[in-house]
Amino acid sequence: MSKNRKSYIRQLFDVYCREFKLVIHDPGILIFFIFLPIVYPVIYSLIYNPEVVRDVKMVVVDNDRSAKSRELVRNLDATQEAWVIGYAADMPEARKAMDSHKCFAILEIPDGFGRKIVRGEQANAMMYCEASLLLRYRGFLVASTNVSQAMGAEILADKINGIAPLAETISTGDLMPIDNISMGNIENGFDSFIMPGVLILILHQCIVLAAGMAGGAKRERPSLIGYDGVNDQPSVAMTMLGQMLCYITILILPIIYLVHYIPLMFAFPMAGNFAEIIMFLTPMVIAALGMGFMFQGIVWERESVFVLWVVTSVVFLFLSGLTWPRYAMAPFWKFVSNCIPATWGVEGFIRMNTNGASLAQVSHDYTSLWILAAIYQAGAYCVQRWVVRPSILKGSNSFESAKSEAI
Amino acid sequence: MKPTGFKAIFVRSVLQIVRRPIYWAAFFILPLFCFLFLSDLMTDGLPSKVPAAMVDKDGSSLSRSVTQQLGGMQMVDLVENCNSYTEARHKMQEGKIFGYFLIPENYQQDLLAGRKPVITFYTNMTYFVPASLLFKTFKTTAMFTKAGIAMSVLESVGVPDDVITPLLLPVNIGARAIHNPGLNYAIYLCNSFIPCVLQLMIFLVTCFSLGQEIKYGTSRKLLFMADGSIVKALAAKLLPQTIIWLVIALFMESWMYKINGYPVHGSLMWMTISEIMFVFACQGMAIFFFGIFPNLRMSLSISALLGILSFSIAAFSFPIESMYQSIGIFSWILPIRYNFLIYIDQALDGVHIYYSRIWFVAYILFMLLPFTMLWNIKRNMQRQVYAP
Repeated sequence: MSKNRKSYIRQLFDVYCREFKLVIHDPGILIFFIFLPIVYPVIYSLIYNPEVVRDVKMVVVDNDRSAKSRELVRNLDATQEAWVIGYAADMPEARKAMDSHKCFAILEIPDGFGRKIVRGEQANAMMYCEASLLLRYRGFLVASTNVSQAMGAEILADKINGIAPLAETISTGDLMPIDNISMGNIENGFDSFIMPGVLILILHQCIVLAAGMAGGAKRERPSLIGYDGVNDQPSVAMTMLGQMLCYITILILPIIYLVHYIPLMFAFPMAGNFAEIIMFLTPMVIAALGMGFMFQGIVWERESVFVLWVVTSVVFLFLSGLTWPRYAMAPFWKFVSNCIPATWGVEGFIRMNTNGASLAQVSHDYTSLWILAAIYQAGAYCVQRWVVRPSILKGSNSFESAKSEAI
Repeated sequence: MKPTGFKAIFVRSVLQIVRRPIYWAAFFILPLFCFLFLSDLMTDGLPSKVPAAMVDKDGSSLSRSVTQQLGGMQMVDLVENCNSYTEARHKMQEGKIFGYFLIPENYQQDLLAGRKPVITFYTNMTYFVPASLLFKTFKTTAMFTKAGIAMSVLESVGVPDDVITPLLLPVNIGARAIHNPGLNYAIYLCNSFIPCVLQLMIFLVTCFSLGQEIKYGTSRKLLFMADGSIVKALAAKLLPQTIIWLVIALFMESWMYKINGYPVHGSLMWMTISEIMFVFACQGMAIFFFGIFPNLRMSLSISALLGILSFSIAAFSFPIESMYQSIGIFSWILPIRYNFLIYIDQALDGVHIYYSRIWFVAYILFMLLPFTMLWNIKRNMQRQVYAP
């Protein structure tokens, strides 16, 4: 019994060392383990780093040409969101500016705008926004709402004093101030919104891609790693465990870099407890490794991983609920998203890192991750035991020879 | 003696595609799944009924009527009733709600006494879409409440009715999102993301199939079959793929504009021309990658990197003029950027083709790109060295 246990430890150690050597000498896998987690988040963060959309161009068609209409345009131009690049004589000219991509909105002020304000009637103006990018439209909406409210409050104060001096109480200030506070991502920045989730997704995909490529490499050249069918092989469980420990060792630094230094560099919200975040991510890493080992079942050669797996990043991004919230998904898609470790990883990490939740508060995500880890590892064992191992043991180049016949 | 010539290479290439399941996955299963997934996921247009909470610390008749009003709004679902700010914040951290609306203690009393109670609402901006919808709903409710109170105060001091209404909103600027008035998310995202999936797959498959020739030592044979002409070799090898991609691209177009009914305000003819040129442009770009890195892994890495980055850098959601200039310029080196711009002009906005002319020219440039690198591909196909 004791001899047996010792031999298991020996097997584990052998696999661990062998995998380490293989990874270090394989530039393809190193790209996934080192280059991707280090460079990719930086590029990605830089794209969105300006965070907010400022000064989107618009033109004005002012059919009123009064002091009030000019004041409206001045106020709009002064907002953070909008930038009045000029006046157009009429709508066709403004349309031409929009069609040739010089501006993204047209403000049309009708004749009589100023006169209506002075008369105490409601003065209307219309802003036509180009709707290809919702962030631009959102900016215009915020700007126009804020400006119409500010101008309205001013006019109201003037008027009320004129009509009914008794109502002075409400004209001296806001009757019922309304305050809104953004939680988590307090600047409403786009980078701070999307990046924490993307970081976890990058980690998830790095692990699956690397594991897939390692599997492909072995199936292509079993001789590389001593799988010669003559010597004893370490058991499937020990092989998986050894590989997992090896990959986790390599991943420690990239993970710390991803969850700590990237948010630090780009000033993303960092409200979470670092140790708890690492604890939270552990089952996700294990589940992703299990997914990678299962993926090995259909990877016949190293480079297939790109073709077969890269596009899933887009699917996983949407399944994680970052863009389209999970409560609004159809039951089927919600079920699919429940099966992806990245979903829970992204959700929990955002809550911990951005909203400052503790590990106890994300216990639902944490438990789900452990359950997924167990399921994927069990599935991975089956795939390794009955698909990958036999195909490796069948001898080298069985696939290659089949393929060269095809060509 | 094996047959040579264009037709022989073509047949060989077809057989390669038919015999390897990985090509079936890359040509059909993955792209079609993504088309279906993206459009079906967002089929509702907007994620209405955002889970939210009410923190009513007043409990007066007025505060309850605010709760009722809020509960009746289309976009919000008041799933929780919290007793304190802390409780609501914890619910938000646990992910049960995306925001909450707080009515302070003695709200009704303070309001009637003119002590100006502050109404505060909190939205979890880590989830942009639900939080923005919630923000809008909360703000509208708060504004209506305020207007109602102002109205009753003004009435009580004897201001006539017809004067009150314009006083509440003297200046009204309506903001209209033209051509997507409902802010339908499927229209907004699928029109850019679905072609971007196609671009990614074209990049990957083109580089993969070319790299395979070198990896398995068949590239010399390929060149021999093409009588040493690299143009002929590549054209014949990639033509079957082009045909498949064209079918997929045209299916994609009908999937979006006919089956899902995304708006087309311009002419479908220009969109069709755009999709066809897009396929050629993507293939051209991929051959160019392979020309720079005639190595299976490197060219696939570049394809994957740029293919995935395209989703962000082609400015589908964050506008290019807001990016750093040094980053934003990279969006112009991607075929998908031009596909996106032509879609905006010709499908969404329906402007005259004159305004999109430059982008069709850009497609042509992508198609010409491979010719700058043919020498390198040929050299490497002759050397036939595989680096893992």
